[in-house]
Amino acid sequence: MAYEITLLTAMGIAVIFALSLNLITGFCGQISLGHAAFYGIGAYCAAMITKSGLPFPLALAAGFLLAGAIGTVVGIASLRVRHDFLAITTMGVGFLFLGIVRQQDFLGGEMGLSGIPSSGLSKPAFMTLVLVIAAAVATFSIYLKRSWMGYVFDSVADDEDTARMMGIDVSRYKLVAFAMGTALAGLAGGLYAHNIRFIDPESFGFVESITVLAMVVVGGIGSVWGVILAAAVLSVMPLWLQFISDYKLLLYGALLFAVMRFSPNGMAGMVTAILRRSKTTGTGGKA
Amino acid sequence: MLAFELLLQGLVQGSIYALIAVGLTLVYGLLRILHVAHAGLFTLGGYIGVLITNATGSLALALLVAMPAMGLLGVAIYRTCYEPLLGRPPYVALIASIGLFIMMEELFRLIFGPYGISFTAPPLQNTVAVLGVNLKEAELATMIGGIVLIGGLALLTLRTRIGTASRATVTDPKMAEAFGVNIARIRDINFFVGSALAASAGVMVALLNNLVEPTMGSVPSYKALAIIVLGGLGDLRGTLIAALALGVIEAFGTIYLGNLLDRDAIAFAFLIAVLMLRPQGLFGKG
Amino acid sequence: MQEKLIRTTAFAALLGASAAIGLSGTVLADSVKIGINVPQTGFAAADGKSALIGAQLAAEQANANGGVNGKDVELVVYDDQASPKSAVPIATKLVEQDEVKIAISGSYSGATRAAAGVFQEAGVPYISAFAVHPEITRSGDYVFRTSFVGEVQGRAGAKLIGESLGKKKVTLITLKNDFGKSLANGFKEAAEKFGIEIVSEYEYSIKDRQFGPIVAKVKSDAPDAIYASGYFFTAGPLVSQLRSGGIDVPVIGQEGYDSQKFIEIAGGASEGVIITTSLDRDSDSPEAKSFIAAFEEKAGYKADMVAASGHTAMKVAIAGLRKAGSDDPKAIRDAIAGLTLEASTGTISFNGLGEVRKDVQVQVVKDGNWHRHSIISDPDLLAPPEK
Repeated sequence: MAYEITLLTAMGIAVIFALSLNLITGFCGQISLGHAAFYGIGAYCAAMITKSGLPFPLALAAGFLLAGAIGTVVGIASLRVRHDFLAITTMGVGFLFLGIVRQQDFLGGEMGLSGIPSSGLSKPAFMTLVLVIAAAVATFSIYLKRSWMGYVFDSVADDEDTARMMGIDVSRYKLVAFAMGTALAGLAGGLYAHNIRFIDPESFGFVESITVLAMVVVGGIGSVWGVILAAAVLSVMPLWLQFISDYKLLLYGALLFAVMRFSPNGMAGMVTAILRRSKTTGTGGKA
Repeated sequence: MLAFELLLQGLVQGSIYALIAVGLTLVYGLLRILHVAHAGLFTLGGYIGVLITNATGSLALALLVAMPAMGLLGVAIYRTCYEPLLGRPPYVALIASIGLFIMMEELFRLIFGPYGISFTAPPLQNTVAVLGVNLKEAELATMIGGIVLIGGLALLTLRTRIGTASRATVTDPKMAEAFGVNIARIRDINFFVGSALAASAGVMVALLNNLVEPTMGSVPSYKALAIIVLGGLGDLRGTLIAALALGVIEAFGTIYLGNLLDRDAIAFAFLIAVLMLRPQGLFGKG
Repeated sequence: MQEKLIRTTAFAALLGASAAIGLSGTVLADSVKIGINVPQTGFAAADGKSALIGAQLAAEQANANGGVNGKDVELVVYDDQASPKSAVPIATKLVEQDEVKIAISGSYSGATRAAAGVFQEAGVPYISAFAVHPEITRSGDYVFRTSFVGEVQGRAGAKLIGESLGKKKVTLITLKNDFGKSLANGFKEAAEKFGIEIVSEYEYSIKDRQFGPIVAKVKSDAPDAIYASGYFFTAGPLVSQLRSGGIDVPVIGQEGYDSQKFIEIAGGASEGVIITTSLDRDSDSPEAKSFIAAFEEKAGYKADMVAASGHTAMKVAIAGLRKAGSDDPKAIRDAIAGLTLEASTGTISFNGLGEVRKDVQVQVVKDGNWHRHSIISDPDLLAPPEK
């Protein structure tokens, strides 16, 4: 069972992380290529706190708050740039985060932080905690999507200028999305640090930012269920594919490409298309 | 003296960046696609360059094959991978492109081996003195090649019918079409030229490092994006200046800021600083 | 129609999955399983390949010699892409599903450090072949390492430069990762003892291949020798650019250079480069000689440090199993802790922390090949950390 528990824990953390980006990219249409930086901020902050002997729940909360606070600052700065400029700016934030962490001796620098204390929970209990948080984040996402705020986000994502003309304070909503998304990424990071119990700068690099963005886009941007499914599948895919070890990354790349090329709305789009088609055949093909 | 040497080294690196980024900016200007897999063509250009030089002993022949071959592959990628996605939001093509790039890197590893390949007898390795500074012939060739190729391209876009048509298409595709510009052809040409330039950069990097690895394109894959954003997205002159400026900043930064930030972080700190002051890039039209 | 198609696809997928599980679940009744995590894909795939072939070679040699306690050795291989994130589930799988008695790491520091915690917790011995991070063995008493920690090799480098070569003004060019940083720390620690003055230090990232700016600055520093950390794919371009920049002073590297590929990349510029490493090409020891020949035959390219380390770690695991004479992890651990073994990387034994004790091999490039320069045998200087 321990192996399945490890996999489920990894999946759960990936789901939280991917949903956090979905708030920014999916709901609000802001592409981020540096989201792993906030994951890293949460991980480092939480690890430093438990390493200094303070309790694990406090560490999670601190990771959540610090990532959210820094996310808000970055968000304010990012308001100046739009579209692809924003994507590249967030990418820059990611590289800057790595560059700074690498030079900080108190954060372990290149050596990373090892000997991160256990959460104090047994493995099944830790998994349960992760899954409960993942479920809570998913519920929150669905609630948000259906709420009035969700519609505002939609309008910002669709067409910023029109939204602004309609009297929506676009900047404020973007900032709220950014703050929530980065804070949740920090929470996921705190969980990650206490799951793997060793963190180094490279674990929060550009590749990780791309990986999480791929989860959101492959899942179907904005679709909560699609993102959950994609995060769960993509996060453990390298482990499932061990038997084709040499071709594993090749297949991963091919999958990213194929989903985008043939189903640009991601897995969620695929499901919708299949449902619609079976419905039309069901009604005798009238539609 | 040291400053002058650092400047030259920065310009060498900047020329490489420029050759890669120009292709990206051509693509972006026309299609608004962040074409990450471009860096895969750069790497493959390097592989072809080394393999042909080793087989025939002629670097010129290697360039003559690698450039048009990558140009055609670029067009093929456009036709099969991007064209069907043109109406979609930009992140769709971005993720497709990243998937394509990962596949290319893995194919290089599976086909050419994980260790990378080198020239058996690397050409252009002698040093020449330029104004009292020792440079490798390959470094000199990179600088001159970069300036000649990009300068030539700039001239073509200004002076020829195709160039005018291309610029018109960037500014307003619908209007250009109304005036009888064959947009599909312009797109093909841009992909061809951009990919061929990336291939030439790949061969030059192979010469400078005497090494082509499967992951050679991973740094250019994201840094070239930063450069075209700095240059104002789609602006040829801006891209060239941004590439050279970044090369020089990294050269000085490695020496004087190396203990504070690494090369990537220096580059992106500069990028963020610029975008905070000029959100449309150095040369973008606000 | 649609529905049928989906059902068929789902069925086929299930079938495929169960076939895959069936395959991995097949156990040869009379075999002892040894786990290994190596990077087979991604940026570290080159080192993973050498380490794996080295380990496979050791297993084949053991099986040709009657196996272990009457059983054949069977390798269970997983690709960790050198990432800590993958290493934890893989280690868990090795312990729980494959029920390996002992495992080795043919991977980098991050992945090895993360996996070591899992093996320690499960009480399964784990041997790191070539990862340098000092924290790896501090995971606990079930974790061993057959390679030098970076600090030890850094100290050896200081002795080589300050004493054997008699060079006193040194420039450091440091690779910015755990490997380069720990080497630099060891070097600085011992520099004073050997009268070395560090005139300057520059850092570069593992992604860099263009060192023009550093070369220009080093030239104006005019050191007597350069201590540069790196791997063959960074050191090859670095040494070649140093030489063509007109810098002729000795360049001293470490085991990261230790590959024929380094000589191929740097070409003529590699002549005279000296490194501290674990594999002596001109060794008289039958162990090293037979390994060098057998590896080249199996792999099709020349042996390097990583290959020798993978081979050594596997050999230690097998020797531990034989000496323990049972499958009991505690007995295997104790057997390894008390082992003295002739391996391709020299005569090795472990200290209380599980760190290896062995001589440092100094190699130099001569006529396009690695050859013996000298051997540093100084137990005090080379003492690995005890806790």
